[in-house]
Amino acid sequence: MEFAYLAAGLGAGIILLGAGFGIGMIGKGAMDAMARQPEAAGDVRTAMLIAAGLIEGAAFFALVICIILALA
Amino acid sequence: MVKTLRIAFLFCLLLMLGGFNANAEVDTETPIEPAQEVDILSKMGDRYYIEFEGLFKFYLPRIIISDGLHFYSSTKSAMNSGVFQDQFYFENPQAFEAGVSGPVSYTLVHTDDGRPVMLDMSISKHVVWFWLSGLLTLLIFGRLANKYKSGIGRETAPRGAGMNFAEVMIVYLRDEVVKSNIGEEKYLKFAPYLLSCFFIILFMNLFGLMPWGQTPTADISVTAALAITTFFMVNLNGTKDYWKHVFAMPGVPKLMLIIMIPVEILGLFTKPFALAIRLFANMLAGKMLILSMLGMIFIFMGMYGTGVGLGSGIIWVSFTLFIYALKVFAAFLQAFIFTMFSALFIGMALEDHSHDHHHEEEPDGLQPATHL
Repeated sequence: MEFAYLAAGLGAGIILLGAGFGIGMIGKGAMDAMARQPEAAGDVRTAMLIAAGLIEGAAFFALVICIILALA
Repeated sequence: MVKTLRIAFLFCLLLMLGGFNANAEVDTETPIEPAQEVDILSKMGDRYYIEFEGLFKFYLPRIIISDGLHFYSSTKSAMNSGVFQDQFYFENPQAFEAGVSGPVSYTLVHTDDGRPVMLDMSISKHVVWFWLSGLLTLLIFGRLANKYKSGIGRETAPRGAGMNFAEVMIVYLRDEVVKSNIGEEKYLKFAPYLLSCFFIILFMNLFGLMPWGQTPTADISVTAALAITTFFMVNLNGTKDYWKHVFAMPGVPKLMLIIMIPVEILGLFTKPFALAIRLFANMLAGKMLILSMLGMIFIFMGMYGTGVGLGSGIIWVSFTLFIYALKVFAAFLQAFIFTMFSALFIGMALEDHSHDHHHEEEPDGLQPATHL
């Protein structure tokens, strides 16, 4: 099916929109927090990476579905 | 400003040159011979040989479990044994008459009826690089440990750049990752696993940035193996409290448990799955990006001629260099993230939730806190 490729491509784009927005929000929050409290920068960075990693994980689950669609 | 203009001018010149070339080379459509094809995907995919392009090619042993255990020193000797045959020759018997010999697809099937082998336990390229990484870690940190045992670094300051660099990383990981996620009492039991995890993954990620090198972590099987190790580390060390939160979440209505228990059990497996996919996808994406960027040179060459291809090559190669620098950063970051998530999951499994249960007994009329 040709539409499977279309679905996979569109899906990947939409996933990136969501994941990029989410990670951007985390980055914004972390930047704000670090600017306000530079002494807590280390803790904020670790928490930021954890949160970003969790979003990334969710995005990868969706991307795997796209790959399955494209390979089907 | 002048410099920018000069660069733009040079680029235009190159484009023009390409235009001339395109006119000059219209009728050079020679069919590509199979021997000239370059296996660019070997930079990402798994192979049953190690090739140092231009130097030598080393065939790796094949171990196959199918009607008993078979061991061959290379794919070719497996084909010569008469028990197995390359799938390519089984599907194209006329290839023999054409004078083709030697392994082509490297997928072995039974010679008698062409059925696929049951279990292919062959040592492939990624496995070798994985072992190399483990060996390197053992070598470097074994020597380092001996140094610390003999007193250098404990009674005196650490000596040498390597020792200082290693100590910075180890102390940071121990304090910020292992200790802060697992807790003061139990962290020493897990520090060796997590630290070796970090360094082995780091070396594997960095191997791919060397010429002729490979990134085993760009293979889902390697990352899955690492994630399964973490899965066992988490679940074998899980406390009673941890399992109680999986199978009988305290403070949740009985009816909700029908939904909660399957979700929690699924959660046990999605955590290592995400761990594997994250490392794999990040490593593969960098490689794919570099190959696509370099591939653009050849696409431009095919479309507009050699000159444009070479001219635009300056742009693509500089983009590639940027991605390469990003990959060095990502190599460290992904190794760190894998270690941190492993530490986090282990810490969650070891956590004592006893302080949470006070909420249920508190008579202040608040809703019981949801347990995370």
